[in-house]
Amino acid sequence: MIDTKHRIIFNSENCIGCKLCYKACFVDVIRWDEEKKQPVFQYVEDCEHCFWCEVLCKKNCIKIIPDFESEKLLQTFDRYL
Amino acid sequence: MDTYERENISADVLIIGGGIAGLAAALSVKEINPDLDILIVEKQTAGYSGKACRGGGVLQYFDLHKIKPEQFVEYHVHNIGCYLGDQDLLFKYVSMNNHMLDKLVEWGAKLPKRADGSYAVIPTGPMTAMIGVDLDITIKLRRTAEKTGVRFLDKVAVSDLLTTDNSIAGATGYSIIDGTFYTFNAKSVILATGSQNYRIGPMWGSGRGDGIAAAYRAGAEMRNPEFGNFAQLVRVKSHREVVFGENYMYNQLGEHITKNFRSGPEPDISSTAIAEWFTQMSMAKGPIVLKPEESGGNSIYTIWDRPYGEPFWKINEQWADKADGDDWEVCPLFIGEQSPVKVGHDMQTTIPGLYAIGDTSYCGSALAGAVPAPPGRNRGSGILNAVFSGIMCAQSAADNASNAPLPPVDKNQVEECFTSAFTPLWRDSGCDAKDVIRYIQKAVGPMERSVYLSDHRIATAMKYVEKAKELSVSMKANNFHELLACHEANAMVLSAEMQFRAADMRIESRGWFLREDYPEMDNKNWLKWIIVKKEGDTMKLGTEDVPYEKWPVKPQF
Repeated sequence: MIDTKHRIIFNSENCIGCKLCYKACFVDVIRWDEEKKQPVFQYVEDCEHCFWCEVLCKKNCIKIIPDFESEKLLQTFDRYL
Repeated sequence: MDTYERENISADVLIIGGGIAGLAAALSVKEINPDLDILIVEKQTAGYSGKACRGGGVLQYFDLHKIKPEQFVEYHVHNIGCYLGDQDLLFKYVSMNNHMLDKLVEWGAKLPKRADGSYAVIPTGPMTAMIGVDLDITIKLRRTAEKTGVRFLDKVAVSDLLTTDNSIAGATGYSIIDGTFYTFNAKSVILATGSQNYRIGPMWGSGRGDGIAAAYRAGAEMRNPEFGNFAQLVRVKSHREVVFGENYMYNQLGEHITKNFRSGPEPDISSTAIAEWFTQMSMAKGPIVLKPEESGGNSIYTIWDRPYGEPFWKINEQWADKADGDDWEVCPLFIGEQSPVKVGHDMQTTIPGLYAIGDTSYCGSALAGAVPAPPGRNRGSGILNAVFSGIMCAQSAADNASNAPLPPVDKNQVEECFTSAFTPLWRDSGCDAKDVIRYIQKAVGPMERSVYLSDHRIATAMKYVEKAKELSVSMKANNFHELLACHEANAMVLSAEMQFRAADMRIESRGWFLREDYPEMDNKNWLKWIIVKKEGDTMKLGTEDVPYEKWPVKPQF
C-alpha cells in the first residue's frame, strides 16, 4: 500500500519509553527520539494499519484510526478504482 | 560524495532477514556447529518482521498415523502442483512435519495443546489439518537465538551481494536510520528476505523482493517467476480477506457462481475463482457477494488459546466489522508472493555459498510446483516451509562456513555497490519511488493482467512495467527511508518484468497459472520450468525440463 491516510494519535504524557512500538513497526513509520525517549511517527503515509504499535503499548498511548478508502484495490472496474 | 560512516563486519554465516525462516536457519546452523559466528541483518527489527507474526498463526499438520507422505505427494502433484513440483523435496517436507513442530516448541514457540497434552489439531481436508501458533513465535525464536550467541543487526537494509570468483563473499547494506554503509564479509550467506508482494496487500504480504533482486543482480538463477501472482478475495470496504469465501459466491442475479468453476471440495482459493469473478463482472452481473450464512463460520482466530495474538486479531476484526457492516461484496486483491530464487535440496542457489530460504525460494525450490508461495493453496505451509528450508540449508551452510577461510572481498565491487545504493540520494532532482511503484501496481494489480491472463493483457502489463523501468533510473531520495523505497521499487520492476516475460512464454494453463487464450494444460510441451538469469545487462529466459520420469507420480499425456 502506498499513500494511505491512516491516522495515528499519540498521547506522549503516558509514554514510558519502552520502545516496543518502534520495534513492532515493520514499515519504518515509527522512528525513535533518543533524547525524549519517545516514538516519532515520521512516515505515517506508509502505515499499513497492522495495529501492533497500539496493541503492544502497555500504557495505551497509541490509537490507530484506519482509513480503508485510502487503500487501493486496483481492479479495473469503475467501482474499485 | 562519500561522507557516510562505514563499517566492516565479518561473520561465518550471514543471514539476511530476521523473520521466521532466517531465525530457524540461525538456530539450525548453531545446533550443527555452536562455534560458528552467525549474524542476522534485518532492515526493520528481527522478531517483529516478516509475515509469521502478523498472519493467521497456523501451521500445516499431517497426521502421519493416518496418511503416508507419499499419499499427500500424489494428491498434491495431481491437484495443486500439476507436475511441476519436486516430488522428492515435497516428500521430505511432509515426512519432517512432526520434527519441525518439535523444533518450534524447543525453540520457544507456543503451540496450543488440549488437556490431554496433544496438539489441538483442526482438520482442513482429507489429507491435511492445521495447528495454531501464537504470534510471538518470531520473538521467542529471536530470544532463543540470542541465548545461543547469534548476533543481530537491526534497521540495516542489505542492498547487494558480494561475490569473489563466482562464489559468495558477503553483502553490502546501509542503516535506514543514519546511513552508515556496511560491508559484510561471510563464508555462507543465507537470504531470508521473503517474497515479492509489490506493496499492495497489507499485513502478511510484506515482502518487497529486495533479496530476490540482490540475488538476481549477483547472477543467481531464478525459477518459476510466473507463479508470483497469488490473489485473495477480500471484502471491499475493509479489505480483510475472506478465507474459503470462494465457496459461496453469488452474482447480482442471485446465481451461485461457485458451481461454474468448482464441482467439489478444493483445498483453498483457486485462480479459477478469480477468473469467474472477472467474467461475471465483465458481463455486468456484478458486484459479487458472499452469503455468510453458508460459510459455516470460518474465523480461525478464536479456535485456540493464543493470548499474544488475540488482541491483534480482535482489533483488526473490530475495525473491519465497523467498516463492512452488512456489506458482503467481495473482490480479489493481488498479493503476489513471487519467490523465484532457484535452489537445490540444500537450499543453495546457483552461486556457491549463497542460500535462499522461506518465501524467497518457495517457487525457486520447486517444492510445490505450479502454485505461488505459501499459502499456495495450503494454509499453514508458510511458517512450516520457512522452518523446513531453514533446517534443510543448515548442514551445507555450516559445512561451508566451518571448512573455509573468509573469502577475499573485491574492494572495487564494494565501491560499485556503494555508488549504486546511494545514487538516488545524490541526484539533484528526480521522481519519487512511489511514482515507479504506481506503474508497477497498475501492471500487476488488476486480476486480468496478473491472474487471468491473455497475450494482449500481458502486453498491456508490460507497457506499464516498461514505463516504471524508464522512470526508475531517475528516482530521487531525500532521506534513508525514501532510499529504501527506491531499492524496493527497483526490486519490484525486476520482479514484474520476469513475472510477465515468463507468463508470456508459458503458453498453457497449469495449476494456479491461468491463461484465457491457452486454457489447457499442455504436458507435451510444457513440463518445463522457466529459468531466468542476468547476462550482462540483459534478462535471459530459458527453460529446463522437469525430470518427471524419476518421480513416482507421472503426468498423463
